[in-house]
Amino acid sequence: MRGWLRWIALGAAAVVFVVFLVAQRQSVTVSYGQSPSSGNTVTEGSAGELGTATVPSTAEMTALVSAQPVVRLPGAVAHWDEQRVRAAIGNAPDIRIIVAPPGLDEAERTRVREVKAATVRVIGTQVTGGLYQSTADQLGEWRAQFATGDVTAALVALISAIRKVDAPAAPPVDPGWREPTAAELAPVLADLRKSGPYTGPGAVSAFPGRSPLVVTLARQPYGKPLPHYGRALEKVFPDTPILVMYGDWIEYTGPQAADFAELVAVTFYAQSGDRISRYAYPQRNILNAYLNRVTDVRYAGLFDRPLPYVPFDPLRVGLPALPWLFAVCVLVFLLLSVRPAARPTSRRRPTAAPARLAALAALAVEQSALTGRATDPALTRGITQLTAARSAIEEKLPDRHVQSLLNAAEAELDEVGRGLPYPGYRPGEYLRGGPS
Amino acid sequence: MSLSWWVWLVGGVLLFVAGVGSVLVPRRRAATLERRVAWSAARAAVDRATVSRDAVSARVPEADRLLAEAELVVAGGGGAGAARTAAEYARQADSMWRAAAR
Repeated sequence: MRGWLRWIALGAAAVVFVVFLVAQRQSVTVSYGQSPSSGNTVTEGSAGELGTATVPSTAEMTALVSAQPVVRLPGAVAHWDEQRVRAAIGNAPDIRIIVAPPGLDEAERTRVREVKAATVRVIGTQVTGGLYQSTADQLGEWRAQFATGDVTAALVALISAIRKVDAPAAPPVDPGWREPTAAELAPVLADLRKSGPYTGPGAVSAFPGRSPLVVTLARQPYGKPLPHYGRALEKVFPDTPILVMYGDWIEYTGPQAADFAELVAVTFYAQSGDRISRYAYPQRNILNAYLNRVTDVRYAGLFDRPLPYVPFDPLRVGLPALPWLFAVCVLVFLLLSVRPAARPTSRRRPTAAPARLAALAALAVEQSALTGRATDPALTRGITQLTAARSAIEEKLPDRHVQSLLNAAEAELDEVGRGLPYPGYRPGEYLRGGPS
Repeated sequence: MSLSWWVWLVGGVLLFVAGVGSVLVPRRRAATLERRVAWSAARAAVDRATVSRDAVSARVPEADRLLAEAELVVAGGGGAGAARTAAEYARQADSMWRAAAR
């Protein structure tokens, strides 16, 4: 039993070692850079970002700008707070603003840029002028810019920079929210019930297991609060991701909104806002890019939950325990190996050799009183053999050796017994009666 | 993993030492025992031959030579092989003297 256990321990140690070696093929690096989102979010030209609007020639636009301080070309979408912009302009006489539609191609944008008379150019909602470009940097400003075309903050900042004065203090720009009316909500609900959840590209990886509901609205009128469809729809569709697009702005409502909605909005519009403001992307493309960003953020493990893309791997879990398992197996094997090696004669069985030695010695003593010249040598030889057997027993030599010495002694004593005139002194006869 | 790498090293070395030990220790123990048994047998054979020589009045030169050689080997000591050689010499001498005694 103990021997088996010993070899089982050794085999287990070998198996553990082999498993450990084989497992070394696994990569131990975990990278957050392998998100399955489809890479570059916004691609030049191929994403339908060029609109149908166009602009007149440079000369015509120069004439227009010379005629009045603010020129709105057909298709322009940008709006601003006249009062605050006028306050920012102050008494500077030659701040002239040209507002062009979004989605212009490179040549058309060049024509707009060549209107030297215009101090400030607004293409779509992108605000440039002089050497500067002004962009929003707060969530409310982005929401105002992309949902309603409000460029007040950017205009004020740019004009102040051109005039080399500090921008006047003003409350942050934010269109604000209102509850949608029942009349507004009814068609949206009817549409959602008809079309069902959005299953376009990116939706599955962004919201695994729960397809989002997507409401697409046109750019909202400037200067009015936005109807918060998300909150209203959440009561109808609980535990469902809801994405509401107001023009180019995407508002998320639903599970874990506090975890990632602001983060995704800030990173998405900070990175892609420049292109979105200048071009006229189809809303579906913006939604796709946004969903990819959601996927990236989810994949990065910023949610307070396990990574969704790392499958359970028992080897990865068990690998740290393998060395200790191996150590335990080695120890068991060693302990079981050392015991028999250290005490090999622990199971020395008691033998008949000492009793036989005593009986033969007694016989020799009795014979010695009776022997004559003819049998003396045999008796002496027998006694030497008995002496050798006794010392062999004392030295704990193997029983087989002791018995062979005793056999030799018995043969000598047998020879003596045969030579004696009296019967009963041969070892066979004498030992049968036992030592007297 | 980086902290427990030495477990594999130490465990491997221990297993190696255990394997070498489990082969060598019993082998050496068996060799020692065999040598002691052989010497015990050799001494017994020499003693017996000595008794046989003393019991014979006639001289047997060949037996004398063999016994002298056996005693020489016993005095010189050595391993189990030497002991067996001495025992064989003593046994031959013993049988010569016994034949002479009849």
